[in-house]
Amino acid sequence: MTDSQMFDHRPDPELAAALRAALEPRDGQSAFVARVMAGYDEALRRATVPTWDVLASWFRPGVAAAAAALIAGFLIGRTVLFAGAGGGAAPVSMDAAIASAAVGGPGRGVAALVTAPSPPDPSIVFTALVEQR
Amino acid sequence: MGSEGDDRGLVAKTLAGDRAAFGELVERYAAQARRVARAVLGDPDDADDAAQDGFLSALVKLAQYDARRPFGPWLMRIVANAATDRRRRRSVRRAEPLDPALVGGGPRPDAAAVQSELGDRLRAALAELPERRRTAVVLFDVEGYSHAEIAGMLGVPEGTVRSEVFHGRRRLRALLADWKEQVK
Repeated sequence: MTDSQMFDHRPDPELAAALRAALEPRDGQSAFVARVMAGYDEALRRATVPTWDVLASWFRPGVAAAAAALIAGFLIGRTVLFAGAGGGAAPVSMDAAIASAAVGGPGRGVAALVTAPSPPDPSIVFTALVEQR
Repeated sequence: MGSEGDDRGLVAKTLAGDRAAFGELVERYAAQARRVARAVLGDPDDADDAAQDGFLSALVKLAQYDARRPFGPWLMRIVANAATDRRRRRSVRRAEPLDPALVGGGPRPDAAAVQSELGDRLRAALAELPERRRTAVVLFDVEGYSHAEIAGMLGVPEGTVRSEVFHGRRRLRALLADWKEQVK
């Protein structure tokens, strides 16, 4: 064996023969072949799992996920509803809101306009507009 | 190992449900698959388990095999992967323990045990090499695959295979040379 062989990337018959002998199984191949063939049917059976079995395997996790989503939706909805009823300001009519905004506001004109029981007098409207400017 | 044309015919028959055709493929590649698995695992029983896993896995995946390519490298890739998986899973059972005397040299062997002792030393030296290196050497020198084919089997660049083969051979050739000196 020379140094040039050491760097040679062609197959090395001497090393190949020694390695082959070292790795060769002691028993013959027939027992091994029979062993592989004994697993033939089982391997194919596992590989061709019927569709219903696949669907059945998906069914349980699917039902669980749907139930979890339903419960989560219910809880979130309930939380939102309770927060709206108990945590926010009490409902107020539009007139009351405008009136309270106008009283103490920039001028009497606006207060008179929004609190008047009868349709607004044009002079009052004009007065309010002038005051706004 | 059969010719590529024969292999394709057997694969086609196996896909059509011909059990005997698969049996013939197993017979053709059993020795090679067992050697490759043993190169990865060391232990012969583990190697046979892995080779069996590889054959049955190949049977299940046979429809994915591209018949334009040679069958051997495709099958050996599956066998090597099965051996590597088994090696990762193996925790309690270990490969044959290394005897330092076998790797580093020892007393001159009797003539009757010469071949057996060389085998022991080579197996011990192989076990010392990194897994990819010893697999590459065995696939190249023993099974006769090209660097490109081995690169495809191991999923590494061809240059990496060349390097692994070179370093693996250097170690094994040194051992072989020492052994030849001893038995002179």
